[in-house]
Amino acid sequence: MPSTLSTPARPASLTRTEHLRLWTAIRIGNLAALASRLAGRGSGASIRGQVLTRIDPDAFAELVQGHRVLAVSGTNGKTTTTHLLAAAVRSGLGRDAGRLVTNADGANLHYGIASALSERPKSDIAVLETDERVVSDMIAHARPEILVLLNFSRDQLDRHHEIKALGRAWRVALDAAGPLGPTIVANACDPLVVWSAGTAATVVWVETATVWNADGALCPACGTVLTRAATDGRSRWDCPGCDLTQPASAYRVDGEHIVLPNGRMVHPDLQVPGSFNVSNAACALAAAVEFGVPVPDALAGMHTVSAPAGRFATTQFGRTRARLLLAKNPAGWAEALPLATSDPVILAIDSVAADGKDVSWLWDVEYEQLAGRRVVCTGPRAQDLAVRLSYAGVEHEIEPDLRAALGERDLPVDVIATYTPFQRLLKMAGLR
Amino acid sequence: MKPVEIVLVYQSLLGIYGDRGNAMVLRQRLAWRGIEATLTEVDPGEAVPSTGAVYLLGGGEDAAQISAVRALRADGHLFEAIEAGAVLFAVCAGYQIVGKTFTVGDHDEVIEGLGLLDVTTRRGPERAVGEVLSTWTRPDGTEGLITGFENHGGFTSLGSDAEPLARVEIGVGNCGDGTDGAVQGNVLGIYPHGPILARNPELADHLLERALGHELDPLPNPELDELRRQRIAAVRKAGLRR
Ligand SMILES: [Zn+2]
Repeated sequence: MPSTLSTPARPASLTRTEHLRLWTAIRIGNLAALASRLAGRGSGASIRGQVLTRIDPDAFAELVQGHRVLAVSGTNGKTTTTHLLAAAVRSGLGRDAGRLVTNADGANLHYGIASALSERPKSDIAVLETDERVVSDMIAHARPEILVLLNFSRDQLDRHHEIKALGRAWRVALDAAGPLGPTIVANACDPLVVWSAGTAATVVWVETATVWNADGALCPACGTVLTRAATDGRSRWDCPGCDLTQPASAYRVDGEHIVLPNGRMVHPDLQVPGSFNVSNAACALAAAVEFGVPVPDALAGMHTVSAPAGRFATTQFGRTRARLLLAKNPAGWAEALPLATSDPVILAIDSVAADGKDVSWLWDVEYEQLAGRRVVCTGPRAQDLAVRLSYAGVEHEIEPDLRAALGERDLPVDVIATYTPFQRLLKMAGLR
Repeated sequence: MKPVEIVLVYQSLLGIYGDRGNAMVLRQRLAWRGIEATLTEVDPGEAVPSTGAVYLLGGGEDAAQISAVRALRADGHLFEAIEAGAVLFAVCAGYQIVGKTFTVGDHDEVIEGLGLLDVTTRRGPERAVGEVLSTWTRPDGTEGLITGFENHGGFTSLGSDAEPLARVEIGVGNCGDGTDGAVQGNVLGIYPHGPILARNPELADHLLERALGHELDPLPNPELDELRRQRIAAVRKAGLRR
């Protein structure tokens, strides 16, 4: 019998020893988290996960069992899409919404996922943001019912080197999962996503109307330069060298609307801004519907999402009212820059591991669009940004200290930050 | 006078590390001096202009390298331009394809490069990733520092027709032999990618002076000096651990 929304998860099958070790690890992890909270070092979710997986290295694999998993991955938009999908499924579950667990804080590596799951032992439906590097393990161990693949672009090349190698790993994992593998909900506009999902048994394609394609010049299958043609304002890509081509989509983004497989057009009425979030919502909607959530329930749920893990949050720093935008790579900046309309606008750049140590990407972002407004450059790599802005002809000042850069302002400001300064801003604002 | 043409070659193939930055820097440094300059971007399938003063190649993945070599050979104009005295500045994967041969893929397939530099590249023992600091000798015989970020799996050896461009103080460079980059006539290559010319304005001006055949006025910029000071201090501090 096919699963419906109300179908319970099959309980995990662990041996007595495995069960005992996991249970012990969770207890000690909880203690570590408590100690961290008491010491005023944040929620303790991260330390819980690290302790938990240190004591029980199989904790991730053991914990994802016993859940019906919906996983979300991709370079940009994972956190927001996970929040949209979790809200949609919760809405569909109604009174049973407590069955759902999610890693809402964006901790998307093995230990972050294990930490989130260990906190809610009674939940049996898991909506999990999943780092690109964890996708293969997720497919193998969690046997997800749904896997959403949003996009695949350059991010921290000093760590990932060749993004194609990751796509290849996904292909291998999906191939191994065979017909019992996840239903993929994937972005048809991204050639690397389409190729990476190529070995999946079932795919629901979403035409996301994505604008960023600077990372998809070559066919990932054969290396030929891809062609792009626009008809009726819709761009389609194709490989002249092999049979890889943009697949026909079940769902489609049309401006602010989402076109459903039956041709009906719905307005997602989101509280999160930007056209890229309409694309994220289209993927979340398709995933929720595949999981058995009726469209009206899914839309009602997604409407409640406003500041997922602090993204797009408006908050107060002293007298200054600031809206917080996260941008981790050129594609993310291309999305965030048009949303930042304040004058001045504050841009915060760092280059520790989580941001990518190489800030060459600054030259792939069109900061020229800020000409005519003032920019406050902040963060440890403010000087690199300042030089970039000089060459772009954008007026700017440098204030390396984040708090000082926010200042005491009468007018609201938009802040765009890379990962580390963004987390610092959330902490300063008491949002995490 | 005709505007000075900077040609950014195949950004869609070779441009994954912000390599567009080098072209922006060259054009803008001329503009700041009141010299009219244009930036021409050319993609595979379009004709490479033969009228450029400086041509730029950036970094990219294996498949892109092969496509770029094939397209540049078929087009032919880059060779003509260099023959006529234009400058070619290639970084990272672009540096590799300018050489005689380079290798790609898991089986180290040997690919013939453009043959403009007497260098050969094969896979190194481990990937070189990180800040790099080296010294180059200016045309007047004095020395200057080059600061950049390298990220390459290939190791490059120089043949007798090419001279090293710089001596490595911290980082890997060509192949860990204490050199980075190569010069042969008007063709220059080096590993640090992306906006290396933004961090090293003297090197940028050197390329322009070579292409124009005359010296340029100095262009003081305290903001750039401060960026260099920060990056050099950071790499020297971290270099002890690398
Ligand atoms: Zn192809």
